[in-house]
Amino acid sequence: MATSKSDLKGYTTDFIKSDTDKAVFLGNPLMDDMMTALINLGAETWANRRRVKIIEMLFEKNGKISREMVEAYMPTPEQEKQMQVERDEFIRTAFGHFARGATDIVALSTLNPTSKK
Amino acid sequence: MFQRRSFLLSSAAAAAAGLTAFKANAKGLPLDIEPRGTNGILERLPRVDLESAQDFMTGYRVFINQELNRAAMTRCNEILKANGIPLDAPLSMEDTVKLMAPDPTMGLYIHNWENTQRAMWATVQVEAHKNADAYMDEMDGAMKAGPGSLELDSKLVLPPYVKHEIHIQPGGYVGDPFAGYIYLHGQNVVFSGGNFQDNAQINFANAVPTPADGKVGRVLEQGCSIGQLTMALKLRFPKAEVWGDDVAAPMLRYAKVLAVDRGIDVNFMQQLSEQSKFPTNHFDVVMNNLLFHEVTTEGARGIIAEAYRTLRPGGVFYPIDLFTGSAKPSSAYSQFRAWQDYRWNSEVWRMEYTALDLEGEMRKAGFIVNEKGPTARRGTDRNVMGTKPA
Repeated sequence: MATSKSDLKGYTTDFIKSDTDKAVFLGNPLMDDMMTALINLGAETWANRRRVKIIEMLFEKNGKISREMVEAYMPTPEQEKQMQVERDEFIRTAFGHFARGATDIVALSTLNPTSKK
Repeated sequence: MFQRRSFLLSSAAAAAAGLTAFKANAKGLPLDIEPRGTNGILERLPRVDLESAQDFMTGYRVFINQELNRAAMTRCNEILKANGIPLDAPLSMEDTVKLMAPDPTMGLYIHNWENTQRAMWATVQVEAHKNADAYMDEMDGAMKAGPGSLELDSKLVLPPYVKHEIHIQPGGYVGDPFAGYIYLHGQNVVFSGGNFQDNAQINFANAVPTPADGKVGRVLEQGCSIGQLTMALKLRFPKAEVWGDDVAAPMLRYAKVLAVDRGIDVNFMQQLSEQSKFPTNHFDVVMNNLLFHEVTTEGARGIIAEAYRTLRPGGVFYPIDLFTGSAKPSSAYSQFRAWQDYRWNSEVWRMEYTALDLEGEMRKAGFIVNEKGPTARRGTDRNVMGTKPA
């Protein structure tokens, strides 16, 4: 990270680092890394999708578009609410499967279809 | 009062740092970095993609707190049942962890929670350090500007207990020069986007009980971090002299930016709340918010004793924290969540705080304690308060 004046003494001091970034929660560090990548990709995807949405709204309203207009964009409360609905739908679509937990699961080793009577 | 949607201002120094769309500042800050203006009192994040990334984390955090939390709670109960343990059986932290931690559903829940916690800080930290000179200039400028004051103590020796990366915020409150900026925009994710206007702090300030004689001339917030509650207290008590103290200079420097930018006349002092420089019998109201669970038992006792010393007879002490308005939870799932917070969210002193008899310590310090004072935290119907005998 580029720091220059931020290294000035007097305002910061040494600190005790947490080890959470080294933790393995999913039994295998690669699984943890994959999960981290998925969530980061989710954030990137949503940022792109939100940008497209903003461009569409601005273009529809003004008939033109510029980078400055995108950066300055301030949604109305109604637009904000609508985008939150879309965001939450996106999250549920992409990640909702994680919420099934370990209940009602069928093991790979189940020999026969469970629907067979 | 502070509702504004505006585009302020800046200087060549900020523009040189790569931030775009600045104009000249008409307000109190010599340099005001808000290239995308404000949403009410909140300075918007400087890039739309950054705002969107935080927006995703906000939505994802809600998903975790609701749907993944529900899945983890269900799984917890299944694990107890499978082990023949009644759901309401008292379990030690060690036993709870031994049972729960190996389960993939529980691991998934913790991973997601901690991952978003790390991401919401890191996103803002990277941005701040990319524009380090500009943000440092903004804080340097605020230190000399009014209203209000900021007194830093470069010789203050910080005890180790304040140096942890609490909430896994990188550098904690003392180790990153932009800790305040990182904290503000990260905690907005924690509040699910519902604290853009300091809503929680304003509610807390409005809940503060006043002394019986109604006199409120001086108010102190102990452990004020970036001063959101300190400023809210000034709005509640506009004629009072309002102070906030904290050990963390980076947090206080950003508190001063916010106060000057908003034109709120509050004073900040860098010191340990348990060893303050304030005179005896000085304040009418002393309060703190989410401070005790971040300090050692010894620290907590010192903070209570200092509140007592600095309050005038009849003055009111109003701490707000976990369990100041609710019973300490005892279910296995709440134990598991508490352990997660303690172990992986770097809430290093949480367990000591949980074991602390706060009301008892307040009584020992000399306070007349009312455990059913006015409520502060959402979901509670009371909050502890202490009065220094007249």
